[in-house]
Amino acid sequence: MSSLANGIESAERGEAAARSKAAAVIADIRDRADPALVRADRVEQLYSQLPLGLAATVVIGVIAAFELHEGRLIELVYFWGGLLGLVVVLHGLLYLGYRNDARRQDNTGQWLRWLGIGAFAAGAVWGFAAAVFFPSHADERQVFLAFLLAGVISGGIPMYAASWPIFAAYAAAIALPFTYVLATFGNRLFAEIALLIPLFYAVSVAIAFRLNGVFVSGYRLRHAYQRQLVELEEARRQIEASGRKLALFFERSPIAVLELDAKGVIQEMNHAGELLFGFAAAELIGQTVKTLVLAKYQPDFDAEWTKLVATRRPLAGLKVRNPRRDGLTVVCEWTVTPLVNPEGELISVIAQGRDITAQLEAERLKKEFTSTLSHELRTPLTSIIGSLQLINAGVLGDVPKDVAELTEVAERNGQRLLDLINDILDVEKIESGKLTLNPQVIRVDELVREAMVLNKGFGDRFKVRFEARGELSPREVIADHKRLLQVMTNLLSNAAKFSPEGQVVEITTEERADCLRVAVHDRGPGIPESFKARVFGRFNQADSTTSRQKGGTGLGLAICKRLVEMMQGRIGFQDREGGGTTFWFELPRHA
Amino acid sequence: MPNRPLNKVCYVEDDEDIQRIVRMALERVGKMSVEIVTDPLRAIDAMKAFGPDLVMLDWMMPGMDGPTLFRKMKTLPETASLPVVFITAKATSRDMEELLALGAAGTISKPFSPKDLPDQLRSIWSKLP
Repeated sequence: MSSLANGIESAERGEAAARSKAAAVIADIRDRADPALVRADRVEQLYSQLPLGLAATVVIGVIAAFELHEGRLIELVYFWGGLLGLVVVLHGLLYLGYRNDARRQDNTGQWLRWLGIGAFAAGAVWGFAAAVFFPSHADERQVFLAFLLAGVISGGIPMYAASWPIFAAYAAAIALPFTYVLATFGNRLFAEIALLIPLFYAVSVAIAFRLNGVFVSGYRLRHAYQRQLVELEEARRQIEASGRKLALFFERSPIAVLELDAKGVIQEMNHAGELLFGFAAAELIGQTVKTLVLAKYQPDFDAEWTKLVATRRPLAGLKVRNPRRDGLTVVCEWTVTPLVNPEGELISVIAQGRDITAQLEAERLKKEFTSTLSHELRTPLTSIIGSLQLINAGVLGDVPKDVAELTEVAERNGQRLLDLINDILDVEKIESGKLTLNPQVIRVDELVREAMVLNKGFGDRFKVRFEARGELSPREVIADHKRLLQVMTNLLSNAAKFSPEGQVVEITTEERADCLRVAVHDRGPGIPESFKARVFGRFNQADSTTSRQKGGTGLGLAICKRLVEMMQGRIGFQDREGGGTTFWFELPRHA
Repeated sequence: MPNRPLNKVCYVEDDEDIQRIVRMALERVGKMSVEIVTDPLRAIDAMKAFGPDLVMLDWMMPGMDGPTLFRKMKTLPETASLPVVFITAKATSRDMEELLALGAAGTISKPFSPKDLPDQLRSIWSKLP
């Protein structure tokens, strides 16, 4: 019960809140009206009343002149009638002037001023009538005049309501002389009426003021709404445009896009989806998306879907084998995004699927190819290089010099081909994440010495010596011994390749705060500025003639970088003082 | 370390070119006596007849692969105690470890250097109990 009551109460509170919110919005809207436009509307209102006012003035003026027409004041009545006629004519001209002003909207100040002057003049003419004719006429005429004056004051309220100061000026011009005349007449009753007239005046101005407020408020609302309507129209157009854009993205997208509701029922599917699954969109809309899930994966799908609906967390890179209408299957990579409204409700789920069947097939072929490379190419190379090595080692006795030269060329190039195959296999292994390391504790000085011994032959070929400079660190690192030797071999052979004959390649070790650095310093030509960014890239050599002259696949440093990083280390290089380059790598110290 | 030098080596390998190279390397460089077997199914008989100090096995061969042959050798009294060295193009460290775990005396990966082969074998030989 209490929860129900609470519910009602909170609903009421909600309604009240909604109402006050709406009121606040309206107040806001009103503030957005352009004040210049509101004033133009008021001026228009004032002028549009003018012909009616003038007609009334003429009628009342004629009746008054007729009634006040008495022998002794005949000139004064004519004079007054002339004044009234002049005011009417001038007002008529004012009206025509206003109507013919094409820019009257912009000149509202001027037109308002003229109308104020005109109103005051009209009031003064009536005031003149009060001052001149009231004292000089008999009782009934005085009643007539009083009624007449009260009428023209009252009539001014609707006439000038759109601007209360104009009404105030107009009415004051009538009431002031009249009050003065009544007060000085010498009659007690008239003196009392004289007291009432300012009251009447005040009430009239107050009403005009209120009416003025109502008019202004109305005009402001009108303009605010007009502006709102314009903005709404603009917003509608923008929404329509972005809606069209979205629809275009959806329709023309080369990947399958499905919109699902919170239960997994397909709401929409684009053309790419039709092509991918072989279903027409109309066949799938209204069906559960499980139509596109293989039976054996449906329990997994249900679990994933429940999780998705509960967490509303988008998923990406989801690889799923989906059935097609023709019974074949396609492997798709899905991006699944739940759409949640500001209230936190799940509106729909957008699923975007890309057919990666061909890509997977290509990857499989690549794998097969590299495995072939590994086994089928190594075996004949074993025979080729082995045979040549036996000849070149003199196992078969001396061979003619020319033959020996050629067999050496053949052996060297066989070795180069083997290096390339090994490097490609290494890259493939690293990139497919299949390279596993055998971490063990390694003494850095022993590693450096071993690498120097292993690469001595290579150094001899380029007539370059490897030498340790300074004391080598006996500290330990944790790394894969074979792979770390591979890194060292790469750095040493690179240094030898690029050093001038007779030079020394120096190797140093350095103990740093939390790591050990091994550096290989050469006196080669240095690395061109333009090549520095690509040193550790694949198949990169600064000068492609180098690979032909000196061997090397351009993969070595890329492999080194990956290997060192896999061992939690860093690799880099810098220009060496006095020419040449220093390549270094750092590995975390073993405690 | 065995108290005699390494002299007689039996090599089971289906590739005839590699057979020739290994024979040349072991005989001419290593001055060893070599028995080559092409058919792994006949390897056990050949070993019994030749009586080698050490056996070299190729991993991948038609009919019976190296590890299978090795396991079979372990079951026979005449061959169970023979040290076995595998020569393989399957060079992943996991493969190597697997072989050593089986009880192999050592592994040599293809391509190997024939002139260094006798030294490699002698080094493995010297480390035997």
